[in-house]
Amino acid sequence: METQQRMRDYPDSSVNRMIPDESELTAGVKIEAGKRYGFFTDTTRCIGCKACEVACKEWNALPADNLGLSGMSYDNTRQLSAHTWRHVSFIEKVRDSEAPPDDGRVTRMQPYQSNWLMMSDVCKHCANAACLEACPTGALFRTEFDTVVVQQDICNGCGYCVPACPFGVVDLSEVDGKAHKCTLCYDRLKGGLEPACAKSCPTDSIQFGELEDLHQRAHQRVDALHRIGVGDAYLYGAPDSPGATGGIGELNAFFLFTDRPETYNLPPAPTLPSTRVKPALLSGLAAMAGLALAAGMLIAGGGERD
Amino acid sequence: MPLETLPQKRRRVPAQTTLPESSTVRYDGPTYYDRPVVKPSKYGYKVWAYTYVAGLAGAAQIIATLASLFGRPRMRSVVRNGRYLALAGPTVGSALLIADLHTPQRWYNMLRIFRKTSPMSIGSYILTSFGFSSGATAVAELLGNLRWLRWLRPAADISQLPAALTGAGMGTYTGALLSATSTPVWAAAPRLLTARFACSAMATGAAALSLAERFGGDARNADTLDQVAMAATLADTVLSALAEREYRRRGVADSLEGENAPAAENRLSNGLEHMLPLICYGVNAVLPKPSRALSTAAAFGVLAGGLLMRSTIFHAGNRSASRPQDYLGFTQPQTDWPRLLPAA
Repeated sequence: METQQRMRDYPDSSVNRMIPDESELTAGVKIEAGKRYGFFTDTTRCIGCKACEVACKEWNALPADNLGLSGMSYDNTRQLSAHTWRHVSFIEKVRDSEAPPDDGRVTRMQPYQSNWLMMSDVCKHCANAACLEACPTGALFRTEFDTVVVQQDICNGCGYCVPACPFGVVDLSEVDGKAHKCTLCYDRLKGGLEPACAKSCPTDSIQFGELEDLHQRAHQRVDALHRIGVGDAYLYGAPDSPGATGGIGELNAFFLFTDRPETYNLPPAPTLPSTRVKPALLSGLAAMAGLALAAGMLIAGGGERD
Repeated sequence: MPLETLPQKRRRVPAQTTLPESSTVRYDGPTYYDRPVVKPSKYGYKVWAYTYVAGLAGAAQIIATLASLFGRPRMRSVVRNGRYLALAGPTVGSALLIADLHTPQRWYNMLRIFRKTSPMSIGSYILTSFGFSSGATAVAELLGNLRWLRWLRPAADISQLPAALTGAGMGTYTGALLSATSTPVWAAAPRLLTARFACSAMATGAAALSLAERFGGDARNADTLDQVAMAATLADTVLSALAEREYRRRGVADSLEGENAPAAENRLSNGLEHMLPLICYGVNAVLPKPSRALSTAAAFGVLAGGLLMRSTIFHAGNRSASRPQDYLGFTQPQTDWPRLLPAA
């Protein structure tokens, strides 16, 4: 194959120059402007190594934050923030929901999937992104790769994107006063490299590629899991799935889960906040108009008391 | 699990009118170590004080315009006071907003684009146009007192019209701004919240102008403005009660009335904003001669209560965003997806 031929051009394990279209070799996809790219995160493959967190911090030179032990299993990062753009969650399902109430031991385990859920959380790069629709300065924009990025030279730190995001991703930095979130390695994409987290993931739990391709792979994976007995596997963020509800459309970074979304700290049916703008404004203006009418009548009437 | 069985469109929430008034729907499913799901806003006193000032200024401009168009000659002082009070919006209000930005030196980027999906973008332009038109009106009002600039007075009467229209926007868009977020308490009742902000704006504007008339103008003007403030307060009280019922129905009321909510702050806000003014205005309405003391007390209640209401809503909102139960309860699927998700 052509790709394998190209691979033979780089036999050394450490290469001291950039490989053109390196993503073709590492992810099997050539990155071109105008196509839609995203992540498919298969949590049944995640081993919780946190290579994605480390790679993201290193590539983007993000400062340390969320320090200290949290007591939340192996998750000491706790949350996505302005300086944490990948966050691995750990859920230990100690008790099986179908076991008798007094039995503390796990008596049942799904085939192929241990009772330990691990998920690498990231910005979802929504098809209809709440943060983008909320941004008044235009700092948040959609790139030629269909991802959502904050332009750091325009953002003035108004912080409206922070409560707007239905997944709690974007955050304001107290250090530099601007909003930050995962860029899907926009700078790497421009150079033909796949994102740092996807490249560093040892099990290919995080898969980078074109969206149609990822959807196909994801559906095949769900079917395969159902066949071997993991009946609870489903997609979160694919079109017409949980997570991609209420006007959000679909999530460019979508997931394969085996438990309810709330367990992974994600909402089952989020809504796009901008759908509330028109009804709110119209109701408010109607109230204003009604009161102004009443005020006008009272003022014209004069309320004669003299 | 075939995905084609999923409903294609998101259906409207069915009205659950059988819920008893005092119960609260609570989410008791799994959370992720009780961690928040969404992030609270970083808005502090500058922003909720701004929503108050903006509403007051916008309503003052509306009342001044109505008095100028339809009022008797004795209402001239109301017109003058209203036009000057409206200036508080673009001056004090803009200062508060720019100071709240985390990179204030880039404040002008707010006018870089217009994004119709963002109430903050819409509001930036409302504030700018209100600033220009009410500024022009106030300048024309001030300079029109000079004999050789008498021609400015009709100019003020023209520029007050766009000022009043954008003034209506000033009192409203801040409610839409809160509603267009993922914070449970703010997003649960978008229409009621925005309408409440509008009513509170009109009430505070009328109360402020009434105080000015009561202590230096015509008592009859003050009576009329008291009636306007009473109408607005009455509307606000009704909308408030409806909003609380909606919050209970959507399961987000715990941030407002639960054990962690500062119940004292909420009751004080309610009492000052609704009870005190309604009682005082109501008594004044039936007295043969309205009492100055009751009118002053009512105006104080409206003004202080309005400020406290904004503070309460902001704090409750930020609290609800930090509570995973509130947000997860708010984002449960309203349609039937039993076959797609694993059973809770």
